[in-house]
Amino acid sequence: MSHAISGAPPVAPARARRKKKTHVLDNGWGRSAIQVAALVLFLWVWQLGADIGWVSSFMVGSPAEIYKALARGMASGDLLRDSGYTLMESILGFVIGTLVGSVLGLALWYSPFIARLTEPFIIAVNSIPKIAFGPIVILWFGTGLVSKVALAVSLTAIVALIAAYQAAKDADVDFQTLLVTLGAEKHDVFFKVIVPSSLPAMISTFRINIGFGLVGAVVGEFISSEHGLGHMIFTASGLYDLNTVWAGLFTLMVIGFGLYFVIDYIERKLLPWKDDVHHASLNV
Amino acid sequence: MHKLLSLKGVKKSFPTKGKTVDVLGGLTFDVNEQDFVSIIGPSGCGKTTIFNIIAGLLDPDTGEISYRGQQVTGLRGKVGYMMQRDLLFPWRTVLENVMLAPELKRMPAAEARDNALEYLNTFGLGGFENNYPKTLSGGMRQRVALIRTLISDPDVLLLDEPFSALDYQTRLYLEGVLLEAVDTFKKTVILVTHDIDEAVALSKRVVVLAGKPSHVKQVYDIDIGEKSPIGARSHPHFSGYFHQLCAELDIQTRQH
Repeated sequence: MSHAISGAPPVAPARARRKKKTHVLDNGWGRSAIQVAALVLFLWVWQLGADIGWVSSFMVGSPAEIYKALARGMASGDLLRDSGYTLMESILGFVIGTLVGSVLGLALWYSPFIARLTEPFIIAVNSIPKIAFGPIVILWFGTGLVSKVALAVSLTAIVALIAAYQAAKDADVDFQTLLVTLGAEKHDVFFKVIVPSSLPAMISTFRINIGFGLVGAVVGEFISSEHGLGHMIFTASGLYDLNTVWAGLFTLMVIGFGLYFVIDYIERKLLPWKDDVHHASLNV
Repeated sequence: MHKLLSLKGVKKSFPTKGKTVDVLGGLTFDVNEQDFVSIIGPSGCGKTTIFNIIAGLLDPDTGEISYRGQQVTGLRGKVGYMMQRDLLFPWRTVLENVMLAPELKRMPAAEARDNALEYLNTFGLGGFENNYPKTLSGGMRQRVALIRTLISDPDVLLLDEPFSALDYQTRLYLEGVLLEAVDTFKKTVILVTHDIDEAVALSKRVVVLAGKPSHVKQVYDIDIGEKSPIGARSHPHFSGYFHQLCAELDIQTRQH
């Protein structure tokens, strides 16, 4: 048996292994159950409050009445029609704005001179809350579909342009150098390196932009419109019909959800090579 | 042996923060047909700069570069440049990465594809052609990078520490892959490395750079005829060359 060397550093005592604390309910079913229960509880308390007069159902509305408003809207077809208008305006605005903005942003890479020239103007325009353009857009483009699309475009285009240009500027220089050594011209570098490497950053701004598309459409409808969910909400609030307002908001939420799912799908299709790293499974 | 590439008095300086840094102070050396030349020297001696000049990505301040006897301003399109990072495009599959050069030369797609698949099979990567680079190990990725470099049939391979990011065993393996490929395809290679082992095991000649700005201090002829990098390391002359080169670099570091 070896004798211990005097003056040897003490060894740290072994720590009792702590088992990683995973909440028993932290899984798909458990979480859904809690979420649904919380939602139901919230609606129930709201309804109760409205029934017993604890909250003014006039000022706040009640779940039952909201449901009735939705049912009425569906039955008459008005809800679907208005949703259709808003959806179309948002999607058109998003697509046109993102396309135009992205193409311009990427094209700025081609000429750093033009990019530097236009930079202060882009920053200036970006600083204006695009919503403020609302009244002037209605004036120019009328009260129909075009003005709402134009407003949505004004919001999405600038965001897309800045995102695309930034992504192009950040493209890995070594990739570009490599392609040049293989015999590439500038347009080869643009299409084979700049565009594909900018795509992830551009697509992640799609989520913001689809939201802006909706904002542009709805606010345009607030200002002046005959159709759409924004119009429905605006009119109803003027009549103090809060239940219809909530019905409209709820429908907008559903549409928003749907659009996010579509963006997710598009991202997975366009970027099959992208890492899907979610959570590290280390014992922290 | 014919001279393939010749550098004479190549100088290069870079402006940084007001003053000018002289990196290359008049470099002169030759590379022969099917030569394997390693360039070693202290960090910052401008090895990457030399490559960029040879590849035609940078212009030298003064000096000439001759290729097959004719003066040129760099060998753009004739070099295969391999860097420490494999630089595989993550958005392209292995096959698509390898087909970059043929694509740029507008080769017919079917022919390019068949050629590329043949290369992949030769290098033991058959079956991985539809994988994305992120699913491959570092060694496999550098192999793909090597194929990408070879497939465009360049005259000269410029290898800038291509294996230094890999673990030692993978490195030895890839050194063997490289030697075999160079032998099979009759390539001329200029290798930059900090690994003196590697320089002695693989090269026919070693160029030692020194000084600030750099110049060619000495050129060693390596007389080891081994085709395998591990075999070369047990050759009787290996140790001698190794220590000679270490001494070369030691003297330089002490004088810093």
